[in-house]
Formats: sequence, C-alpha cells, structure tokens
Amino acid sequence: MTATAFPPQFKRETHSVNGLNTTVLTAGSGPPLVFLHGAGIWHGVNFALPWTEKFRVIIPFHPGLGEADDDPAMTDIHDYVMHYLDLFDTLGLEKLNLVGFSLGGWLAANFAVGHGHRVERLVLVGPAGLRGKERPKGDLFLLPPEKIPAMLVSNFDVIKPFLPDNPNDLDFMGARYREGGTLARLWWEHPYDKKLPRYMHRLTMPTLLVWGDEDKLIPPAQAQIWQSFIPKADIQIFKGAGHLVLDEKREAVDAVQRFLS
Amino acid sequence: MDGTVRFDFMHFMPYVHLPENHKDYKSTWVDFPNKYYDPKKGHALYQRYLSELVIADQVGFDAVVVNEHHNTAYSMMAAPNLIAAAVIPQIKNAKICVWGTPPNLEYPNRLAEEYAMLDVMSEGRLEVAFPLGTGMEYWANPINPATARDRHREAIDIILQAWTQDGPTTYYGDFYTYRYLNPWPRPYQKPYPPCYIVGTGSQETIDLAAKLGFGYSSVFVTKQRALELNQNLRRLAAEHGHHIRPEQLPVQVIAYVAETKEKAEQEAVEHLRYFFEDALRTTPTFLAPPGYLSVAELKKRAALADKLHGAFNFDNINESFFVAVGTADQVVGQLEEWGERLGTNHFNILGAIGNMPHWKVVKNLNFFGQDVIPRMRGRAAAQRRVAAE
Repeated sequence: MTATAFPPQFKRETHSVNGLNTTVLTAGSGPPLVFLHGAGIWHGVNFALPWTEKFRVIIPFHPGLGEADDDPAMTDIHDYVMHYLDLFDTLGLEKLNLVGFSLGGWLAANFAVGHGHRVERLVLVGPAGLRGKERPKGDLFLLPPEKIPAMLVSNFDVIKPFLPDNPNDLDFMGARYREGGTLARLWWEHPYDKKLPRYMHRLTMPTLLVWGDEDKLIPPAQAQIWQSFIPKADIQIFKGAGHLVLDEKREAVDAVQRFLS
Repeated sequence: MDGTVRFDFMHFMPYVHLPENHKDYKSTWVDFPNKYYDPKKGHALYQRYLSELVIADQVGFDAVVVNEHHNTAYSMMAAPNLIAAAVIPQIKNAKICVWGTPPNLEYPNRLAEEYAMLDVMSEGRLEVAFPLGTGMEYWANPINPATARDRHREAIDIILQAWTQDGPTTYYGDFYTYRYLNPWPRPYQKPYPPCYIVGTGSQETIDLAAKLGFGYSSVFVTKQRALELNQNLRRLAAEHGHHIRPEQLPVQVIAYVAETKEKAEQEAVEHLRYFFEDALRTTPTFLAPPGYLSVAELKKRAALADKLHGAFNFDNINESFFVAVGTADQVVGQLEEWGERLGTNHFNILGAIGNMPHWKVVKNLNFFGQDVIPRMRGRAAAQRRVAAE
C-alpha cells in the first residue's frame, strides 16, 4: 500500500449515533454534500476533494464498514436509513445533497424515498439494489474476494496503490472478511431490493444517474431501468470507466459538482 | 482409563468416481458440477456403504455414525436421517448416531420429529449432534451465514423445548414462530437422546456445548487443539454446573489396521491422500462464507487450511491429526495414549477412508472387531478391577 486513502484535508469526527460510534470525514464549506460510500471504502475518498471547494463534504463510514463500529443488529437497509436519520439529526443537517455510490446508492435511494423533503438533489453512482439479469454482476458473493478489486475498475493502476503488496495479506483479508459479514447480514438472502421499485415514484427531487460504461459489477444498462422508475432523472455515462467511475474519471466528479451547483 | 471403552464407526459415503479431469476444479464441493454424478454408480456405492455399517455392528462396534453435507462428492449423505432409517432394521445392537443435520438448515420442529421417529424406530438407540455445518453448506442452502449461529441456537432451543415440555407450547423467536409446537412422535429416550455439538473448535460452539451440557466432538482439528478444546469444555461446562463425562468427548481418529505397519501404510496411504487431496479439496471462500467466522478465527484458520484442504503429506497429516495406521498393537497403543491424554474413552473411528475399496474396509473392520476392540475392552476391564481392589 503506497497511497493515502483518506487525504489530510478531511477531518475525522466520531459521533455516537444511537449508541454506535460512527466516524465521519468532513472537509470544505458550503451547502452540505453527503456521500454514501459503497460496499468497500479501502480505495479511499481522494476523488471527493474537488467537491470540497464548493460544498461541505460529509462522508460517514457505514456501520460495519471501514472505520465504523460493528452493529450486528443492523440486518436490513432500513436499519441503515434509520441510522442516517439519527446521524443527520446529530449533524444538524435538515436539507442536504445526497450522493450515493453502489451500496450507498441503494441506501441513498431508500433514504430519499422515505425522506425526500430533506434531499435537495440526488446523485446515484452505479447504484446497487435492483435485480439484474446477468450473473455474476451485482452479486459480490459470487466472486472470490481476491478477484473483486480487478472487477471494480477499467484501469487497475487507479486502485493498485490502495491494495497490499502481498495478495494474501492477513490484515487486509481480515478487514474485508469483516465487511463481508456486514454485507451478508444486509443482502445474503436477496442481493437486491424487491420493494424499492414500488416506491421510486417518490424520488421527485432532481436526480442524476452516473455510470462507467465498463462497469463489470452493475452493468450500465441498469441506468435505464432506474430512470424508468424515477420521475425526472438524467443519465451520464462515462467512457473508459468501471464501477469506480468517480475514482477513474475526473469528468464524472465534475459532472456531479455541476449538477449539484 | 476408567469406565468402558466405546467404539464408533463413522462413514462419509463419498462419491468416489471422480472424472479424470477433476483436478481442474479447485473444489469438489459447492460448485463441483453434478453432471459428474452417475446414479447407477451411486446406487452401487449406497448398497456397499450401507453393508459396511451393518458389518461394523456385527463385528462389535458400539455405534455407527453418519452426518450431513451438501453439493459435494465428499459425501452422499445430504439427508443423513434417510441413511439412519435405512440401517435401523439391519443394525441389531449398535447405536445410530446422526451427527448430524445442522438444525438451522431444517425446520426445527421437523428435525425434532425426524429424530424422535428414528429414536422410536430404533427403540432408543439414537444419538444426535447439532453441528453448525461447514462453511460449504451455507453456499448450498438458503440460510444466511452471518446469522447462522443465532439461528442455530434458536433452532436447538426449539428442539429441546419440543422434547422436554408437553405440547402444545408456543415459541416466538427471532427466526421462528410456533403457535402449536407439538411434534408427534416424541423421543423414546427420556428426556431425549444423548446430544453432542460437533465442530472445528470455534469458541462460540464450545461455549454452547458447555452451556447445554452436551458432548463435544472436535473434528479436523490438530491433536494439540483437540486437547485444549476438551480442557476448555470441561472447565466451561463446570461453570454452568455440568460435569462432562469421558464418553461425551469422542475423539475422531482415522484408523487402518493390517498385519504389519508396512502393509497398513501400503494399503491405506493412497486413500488418505485421496481423502485430503481430493475429497476435502475446497476453496478458502467456500470454507468461510461471509459472517460465518469471527475475523480472529478466520485468520487462525488461514494457516491450517493449506494443511487440511487439498494438499497431502502423510508425515504432516500423521503429525498433526489423529491418524492411527499400523498393526493392532500399534493402533491400540495410540488410541490408549490419546484417550489418556484427552480424557476420553470414546473413539470415533473413520475406518472407511476416502476411496478405499470394500475389501479393505471389511479387513479393517475385522481387525478392529477381532483385535483392537476386545483388547482395549479387556485392558480397561482389568484396570477397573485393579481400581476396585
């Protein structure tokens, strides 16, 4: 590992949310932009630095992932929605811009379906949560852990600095295994959300769908499916990018910023 | 050693006709294509394996042991209760041990019913174990590995309630709701058949066995770890007010007896190789589905996995695990030593090793029946007499 996943511009705050220690990264000033990360956050948040010029960027670690504590009692996406209601209240965020990537996209969509009056604008980046037809796309559990990193990107060099030199590094393996347990509680039975499409008509805020055209985990063809359920959503697809489109393409980061400004 | 000596014969009933290209597959579990299963060959194997359980009873084993695995050539016992039901009418003396169906992979009331049926059918000769199941079972069954332990506990709780309280009762749990828990029939043995936890040594499973006062059978753990686990269980069970008896701690031993040590090794080693290299071949991901192990346990096992699953070195295996291959004298000596060290008089013998042919299994069973078992019983009885005087 040679790179800094969490640049020093981000301050770490720890909040007790319903008894659970939750670490939050914050940087910048301006209107609040909450970024909900994906199923892994070891590749860091360097991509988010440009947003800090215009926004107060807030990146919480989801319970059971990254630097957050575990809470084995959180077993479905609505537990996470409730967790974020508590956290946003703690942070005094009445209205916010919500950007969710992958698992965080699924979570953001669920939050916005229930609490749309608090979400000014919604960005879903390669969101998980809808039932895909292709296999093994969208089901991380069908992939051996050692094969996952390469599936995330078009250009492996982008994430290589965040991976251990030794592929059998026990600490890295253990950290990912712990996160796998969190994800299994969330979506082992159904790696998709059966109910979400039924309520997506409630996403009446301006919404942007962002995808990499080489996304090997969740195919960009899913963008149209999301769009068909949402009253007004634009799609922006970026060429030469995989699932981690924000890490791979500065243009995607800028497009999100323009949409939110 | 005090008390009597108990010998079980355990069979895995492997499907041994692997295709020539089977080494191309990283695992003979979970995703090993079932197109390679030939039911005609499977039929012949069932006939043969069932007969071997019956022979074990005839030569003097105290129990036969079956267990459950899914999606694998390692074992053809996806439903071990079916095997138990098939042998009950043919086995006259031995106990029937179903060690067992993971109770969280089955409806708990149904498992309580099936075990009670077997206990009644066998006139009280059933013993059961409540394994959590290997990691591989959670890739094959629609049960969440991350909540498997909680579900396992709740399922056992329901089964014990069904066996100890007059029905109908109710149960409102995290995983199961019963408005009329009232299974018919009820167990022949009172309050219920002897129960064990079978496991590979997770602290969580030891704690559970200690709390319930169940026996514990560690499987596929090193000799050193088996010793620690038994000591741990005795201590923890005592804290819960349970006294663990020696026969509650069966030690699993891979054993083969022949006329000479050389002959025994010559006849057994290739099947041991098959067992470890081919039958147990699986992947780290299949062994540890997400949430199935604690992170500490995962790291601990990463070191052992290479030794156990898919690589074979007879000396290593011999050194690390309970493997007794030799003359009757030598095997008796080893079993007595291990029994002494582990504080058990209960030996669970894996005597049908890997793809061993029928004649070798029968030869092994006969050596046990004629030499090993009577000799150890005689010596234990002599020791009891000395102790009594």
